[in-house]
Amino acid sequence: MIRDVPSEWIERAAQASGLEAELSRRGFLKLSVCALSGLALLGLGDAFGANAPLVILDNAKGVILADPTRCVGCQRCELACTEFNDGRAQPSLSRIKIARAVNFGPGGPTGGDAMHGDWGDGLIVQGVCRQCPHPVPCATACPQNAIKDDPQTGARVVDPAACVGCRLCQRACPWDMLSFDEQAGVATKCFLCHGRPKCVEACPAAALRYVPWRDLTRDGGMLRSGLSAPSPENAKACLDCHVPAGKTAVK
Amino acid sequence: MSAGDAPDLGKAIVEAVREASAEARLVGADEVVERLRARGFGECLDTEPEVDPCRRVEALLSGLPEIASLASLSGRAVYHDPALLSRTYARILDRKGVTALLMAEEIRANSRDYPRPVPVELFEAPPFDLAPEAIEAAFKAMAASEEFRDIAFTTTSQGTVYLFSSLHLERDYATFLAEQDETFSMNP
Amino acid sequence: MAASRGGFAGKVLRVDLSTGKIGVQDTIERYEAVLGGAGLGYRVLWDEVPAGTGPFDAANKLVFAAGALVGTSVPCNGRTTITTIFPTCWPRPLVGSGHMGGHFAAKLKYAGYDALIVEGKADRPVWLMIRDAKVEIRDAGHLWGSGIRRTTLELSQEMGPDCVVAAIGQAGESQAPMGMVINSVSHSAGGVGGVMGAKNLKAVAVQGSGAVRIAGDKAEWEKLVKFHLSILGANNQHVVPSFPTPQAEYYNPASRWVGQPGRRWGAAKPPVELTGDIHDLSRIVYRTNSAAFFLGEEAWKYTVRGNGCTACPIRCHTMLRVPSVTVKYGIPDMAQNTCIALQFGRMFFKGLMAGKGGEAAIEACMVGMHLADDMGVWSNYGQLQRDLRKLYEGGYLKARLGSKEYASIPWDKYDRNDPAFLLDLVPRIANRQGELGDVLSRGTGAIFDTWSIPESDWADDHSTTYWKMGHPKHHANEDDGQCGVIINTQYNRDAQCHSHTNFVRNGLPLAVQKKLATDIWGSPDALDAPGDYTPANPYKARRAKWSLMRKELHDALGVCNWMGPWVASPRWERGYAGDDSLESKFLSLATGRPMDREELDRAGERIFTLHRALTIRDMGQVDMRAGHDTVPPWVFEDAKGAAPFTKGTIRMDRADIGRAMDFFYEAMGWDTATGAPGKARYAALGLADVGEGLAAAGLVPQDGK
Ligand code: SF4
Ligand code: SF4
Ligand code: SF4
Repeated sequence: MIRDVPSEWIERAAQASGLEAELSRRGFLKLSVCALSGLALLGLGDAFGANAPLVILDNAKGVILADPTRCVGCQRCELACTEFNDGRAQPSLSRIKIARAVNFGPGGPTGGDAMHGDWGDGLIVQGVCRQCPHPVPCATACPQNAIKDDPQTGARVVDPAACVGCRLCQRACPWDMLSFDEQAGVATKCFLCHGRPKCVEACPAAALRYVPWRDLTRDGGMLRSGLSAPSPENAKACLDCHVPAGKTAVK
Repeated sequence: MSAGDAPDLGKAIVEAVREASAEARLVGADEVVERLRARGFGECLDTEPEVDPCRRVEALLSGLPEIASLASLSGRAVYHDPALLSRTYARILDRKGVTALLMAEEIRANSRDYPRPVPVELFEAPPFDLAPEAIEAAFKAMAASEEFRDIAFTTTSQGTVYLFSSLHLERDYATFLAEQDETFSMNP
Repeated sequence: MAASRGGFAGKVLRVDLSTGKIGVQDTIERYEAVLGGAGLGYRVLWDEVPAGTGPFDAANKLVFAAGALVGTSVPCNGRTTITTIFPTCWPRPLVGSGHMGGHFAAKLKYAGYDALIVEGKADRPVWLMIRDAKVEIRDAGHLWGSGIRRTTLELSQEMGPDCVVAAIGQAGESQAPMGMVINSVSHSAGGVGGVMGAKNLKAVAVQGSGAVRIAGDKAEWEKLVKFHLSILGANNQHVVPSFPTPQAEYYNPASRWVGQPGRRWGAAKPPVELTGDIHDLSRIVYRTNSAAFFLGEEAWKYTVRGNGCTACPIRCHTMLRVPSVTVKYGIPDMAQNTCIALQFGRMFFKGLMAGKGGEAAIEACMVGMHLADDMGVWSNYGQLQRDLRKLYEGGYLKARLGSKEYASIPWDKYDRNDPAFLLDLVPRIANRQGELGDVLSRGTGAIFDTWSIPESDWADDHSTTYWKMGHPKHHANEDDGQCGVIINTQYNRDAQCHSHTNFVRNGLPLAVQKKLATDIWGSPDALDAPGDYTPANPYKARRAKWSLMRKELHDALGVCNWMGPWVASPRWERGYAGDDSLESKFLSLATGRPMDREELDRAGERIFTLHRALTIRDMGQVDMRAGHDTVPPWVFEDAKGAAPFTKGTIRMDRADIGRAMDFFYEAMGWDTATGAPGKARYAALGLADVGEGLAAAGLVPQDGK
């Protein structure tokens, strides 16, 4: 969506949000919350062409915060997510992920002292969607631009009508947080239940909270390196902002 | 706020009592008045200067089905919402500080209602939080007073002391129940 | 149409280990009338396993069955029932079930199966791999001899971290009747480990990615689930806390609802303080701490967290970390379990039995769990421990065991209550080593057989709590007078029924219990205060019947009878009522086929009657009353000589128990002379074929209805 935006708009947005120095020094647009609201303030949205690929999503309003030290591995959150939203009990479809960590933790059945989960030190590390800031790995990877932000919560949501079931988003998420609905043939991910997260309500241990968004992507390690390659059209748009080092910044 | 605004005032009273109950506190009418003033109902309470606002609140309280009143040990009426603060707990709160009576009444209620004797440790834990010395002193006081003649204890084969009221439990039965209680952990 | 039914996964998996044949059947078509769980197991045994089959014969079958509610978010649904010809039943093996929680049942459903039927016998050690539709028998040569922990780790490495492994240890491999199968660290089913071992089946590992469909309206379903949560108490559905709280009118120091503000999970990193309103639904898990309930206050500081079955918010498997045991006994510092299995180690020692036991008992428990849950040794509801105590203290062992073997056992440690004794004893049992190890590995009946000890030495002695057929009482007259006695006469192992005890011990005052009893069973006289028993009456029999039907139903639906039924609740505004129709409401919504309480209870009765029929068939005897439904002499005695129906005794009266059994048989529609169902009763329950089969063998009452 940035493709058709004149670069001076970007610069003005950067100025408005105090990121000008960052821009000129690194030739790199760091889009934090303020940067994006700056863009919004300038009515930048109006400039986005109707058919332009969607690249930049405004930050989400909320995010699920999970406390592993309270989690008892009951999977009630997973079941609430799928039963109450989809009418079927299916942990593999859940957008919060417990089952994979219950036995041995995110590291798997390695043995040794570092192992988590029921067979390890007892810690259950819940898998939750970070509702990533730009560039949103899953959304960026989607060749159909089927992952958009929910107008209400800012959650990154899969539009099932646009999703063609290629599973590239699944490969893109560094935390392996997308699910694939085999029945519908589309990907699905945490949509924050339109602002009333079922998982949070279902947790009998108060281990989940719905809190104002903050960037959790830098906390801790990634589960794996995501394969988030933007599609060619998107990639072109990306270059409007992400200028190779040593080249002219933005302008 | 007009004087005729009784439903509103009634609602505010319920809220004030509920607020206190949620904090596990009993409130008298005077405190309800204070809480009402803090909620901006002062003007409404003072519309009839000849009527003590406390009396007026009391009258309104007696007509509120959701609110229960308790004749406190001090003689005055205190109020709570039983959905947030149970009768049992309200009584415990009211008797706090009068250790012998607090224990005796708790022992009696257990012997009468469930029926069962209670282990003495019950009183060491919240919400009683009595120190062993305070418990001992209360026992001495009970032994010396006619009023607590019914309070008795039985010791299990494992040495745990259970308390009961002879008004409601025979000694042999209390002893049986105490033994049974103590062996529940071996009867999973 | 089978395909449109929700709740059920839809298929039953059959694996013949002799031929390697793997197949599936339609659940609804074949087993709808018995739902699942033990019902499905009984049906398979009735149809396919001939009378006289031994537990370790290849012809015996092993039926792992979940239920229609398993895998959903119905609270407390994670149960697997494993039905087979049960090896510890004495003097002759009869039908029985072991039950395990954990995550096995749900995974089996997600893989697409309501049950797994294992047939035949492999010619070498194997394990069964189930990954959705892909099922394979794989070689287990490298696992044979390993404990359950290692087996699980290695199979998880092969299958992926989120599979669930149900494995046997050394006890099962050595075909010990006291062997058990374990999944998810600590969830065990007793008695069936040796049957797996006899089939050369080391483990079943399941991975499932599918769904359990809720056929009804999802909003209604959500509402019902939330309602159920709102009527939950703590473990065993104790609906009042053990201490006064502002929100509760009642409390009970003996309640398993021990989580109290001020307590904390002391071994969590960092510790978790129990704050806020313990009644709140976001804090259900903090109500129960089995270790604190059974072992005392000290256990809080070792508590890492609660753990438990899929979807259960109660978390009765308390996870403990006790660093001292690593140094002292060379074992891991983590362990978890509930109830009897939590106390496996402690219960061997007379000196650690007093009260809650404290630190010394906690260490013994840690050693016990380490050994039992890895080698797969069952306690037979504590009978193993009581047997050893009696054998030792009663001088039986000294007299009967060869002096060399006797001397090889570290009795000095035993006398000192030193948990290190278990490091010697438990492997003897698991490996069936020496005479003591071998006898204990075969259960209580083997004690009588091998050492010519009359059964009456046990049955006369209240301290053994021995009931009959090689098994102990399980919530009998001490909890529930005649109702408890009736229930304990009915099974071929310990009764495993909690419907009755969960109600009488729920912590509500007697008057409230009687009010609820009037609503449910028609009279306040359906129950007495413990130890204040009144003579038998039809309402007690009705409640006994209800308790048994619900137990069978819970096993068949896959919900936990250690928690249900939910007929009482912590809710003041409901008059402490729960909901007697909860199970049928859930099943109706899940399957999309409405079924009311009566119809579902009839299914429970059908299942229970099938158990009766199998018992009659395999005993080759119709007179259950005299030949099966027996009561040990200790029930009719009192140490202090108190008369029955005096306050403060659990002593029962023989003639009165006779009347209680009459009432019960009448309530069941059975012949009161023999305690056996007649042909008409079988037919009325949709078991006409069973009635005819038994009639042909002369196994229905003569003048049977
Ligand atoms: S990349 Fe993963 S964590 Fe980030 S928004 Fe997408 S699904 Fe969520
Ligand atoms: S917020 Fe909703 S969609 Fe997201 S994980 Fe929780 S229940 Fe699922
Ligand atoms: S519901 Fe809560 S305690 Fe249970 S698995 Fe989810 S986060 Fe953990």
